Amino acid sequence: MDSLVGFVGKNYVLMAGDTNAGRSIMRLKDDFDKLVQIDSHKILAKSGEIGDGNQFCNLIIRNVSLYRIRNETELTTKSVAHYTRRQLATAIRKNPYSVNLLLGGYDKKDQKGSLYYLDYLGSSKKINYGAHGYAALFVGSILDRFWKEDLDFEDGLELMKKCLREVEKRLIIGTRCFLIKMINSDGISVVEKVMINSEKKNEIEEEN
Amino acid sequence: MFTLGSVLDNELKSTVEDFSFETNFSTNQLMLPNIEKPFEFAQSIIGLEKDLQENENQLMFHQQKKEERKERALIKGYKGTTTLAFIYEKGTVIAVDSRATSGQYIASQSVQKVVPINSYMLGTLAGGAADCQFFLAHLGRICNLYELRNNETISVAAASKLLNNILYSYRNYGLSVGSMICGYDTRGPQLYYIDSDGSRLKNSLFSVGSGSPFAYGVLDAGYRWDLSKEEALDLGRRAICAATFKDSYSGGTIKVYHIDENGWVKISDDDASELWYEYEKKEKKEKK
Repeated sequence: MDSLVGFVGKNYVLMAGDTNAGRSIMRLKDDFDKLVQIDSHKILAKSGEIGDGNQFCNLIIRNVSLYRIRNETELTTKSVAHYTRRQLATAIRKNPYSVNLLLGGYDKKDQKGSLYYLDYLGSSKKINYGAHGYAALFVGSILDRFWKEDLDFEDGLELMKKCLREVEKRLIIGTRCFLIKMINSDGISVVEKVMINSEKKNEIEEEN
Repeated sequence: MFTLGSVLDNELKSTVEDFSFETNFSTNQLMLPNIEKPFEFAQSIIGLEKDLQENENQLMFHQQKKEERKERALIKGYKGTTTLAFIYEKGTVIAVDSRATSGQYIASQSVQKVVPINSYMLGTLAGGAADCQFFLAHLGRICNLYELRNNETISVAAASKLLNNILYSYRNYGLSVGSMICGYDTRGPQLYYIDSDGSRLKNSLFSVGSGSPFAYGVLDAGYRWDLSKEEALDLGRRAICAATFKDSYSGGTIKVYHIDENGWVKISDDDASELWYEYEKKEKKEKK
């Protein structure tokens, strides 16, 4: 039910998630932010159970902060991905966290953005583009077709909107509202909170 | 040597722990059966053991069988109720019904579904009555301790987070709690939805229970931030009335509460069926 999409561009990472939080057939909240900030240059996008997502993301955020306080240095995206994966893997046989994650981050050392795909079973893979949830079925092929290495920000945003438009059009469960965030050398910024209405002949209403 | 003086000294010495939350709230404080593996016992009551024997691949069962487990649970929570709460400019409005059903039988028409936590916070009850009543009363105790230790009133966010952490640690034990923590603190009117699955959501309006879709309909249609107090109370009352009319598991009396900077107050307590016909009469008069 939750849709998460992300991909890497030229010196940035673009991530989007829908803003629904619900329980069975009901939408309880329609401005729920699923792209959680871990530190100044990393986002953990969560999908799955709300409670597990909250608690697990808090665990990662606090431990990354603790490392920074103890060692006076920020972790790289790769390290955070490995740490997160290990937490999921050790929990799966005892006390599973039902969360699927996309970890996006920008490393100042390499001057590059990176994206990791993490699963509730404890799998982890560095990817250039990917998605979680039902969106992955629709968006996977679009990203395969149109994603290129080193996309400019404008082209990247257009590609992201293309993906979200497809999700809104084909997913029978109504998810019109998406939150798009970008990570680059300046840090994390909210690009747009987009409300997509495909009835209006592919016009997109923008909400800030 | 334990002289009286040294014992008193130890008692009066304050430690870091006295000025912070007790850290053992999330560990087991409840009495669990005095057997070797209480977790397995709790799971067997809710039908998990059968799954483990059937399905050797333990990874899959957690995802796939969760819904089936809920069906087979011997300890079934009743979510036959309608409770709602919303915040607006002048405070928080809470409206609940008061019917308890076990299957097709109406067990009671006068259940208290709103539990006071302290003088400016209320919790609503949906799901397992015993679970909700216990945990909300427990939350009241914790909030009281916080206020005594830290010499300041606890915020609604903190109180809801405490309850959330406790319920999260019991998330596979088959508890059924669908509670809303509503209050008024320094940040204004606040409303949180807390679940036995471990979710905690903040929003301006919620409705929980079997009659919640019906209540949402009336509530969403009439809700604005800048309602007057009379309009807000009327909206809450009408939403529950609509839910009791449509949902057979909700009914009894409709209780409405209001929370503002002065604390919580019970506004009204009306019979659900009588209220419906009163509204009908009013509308007929207006048409004429």
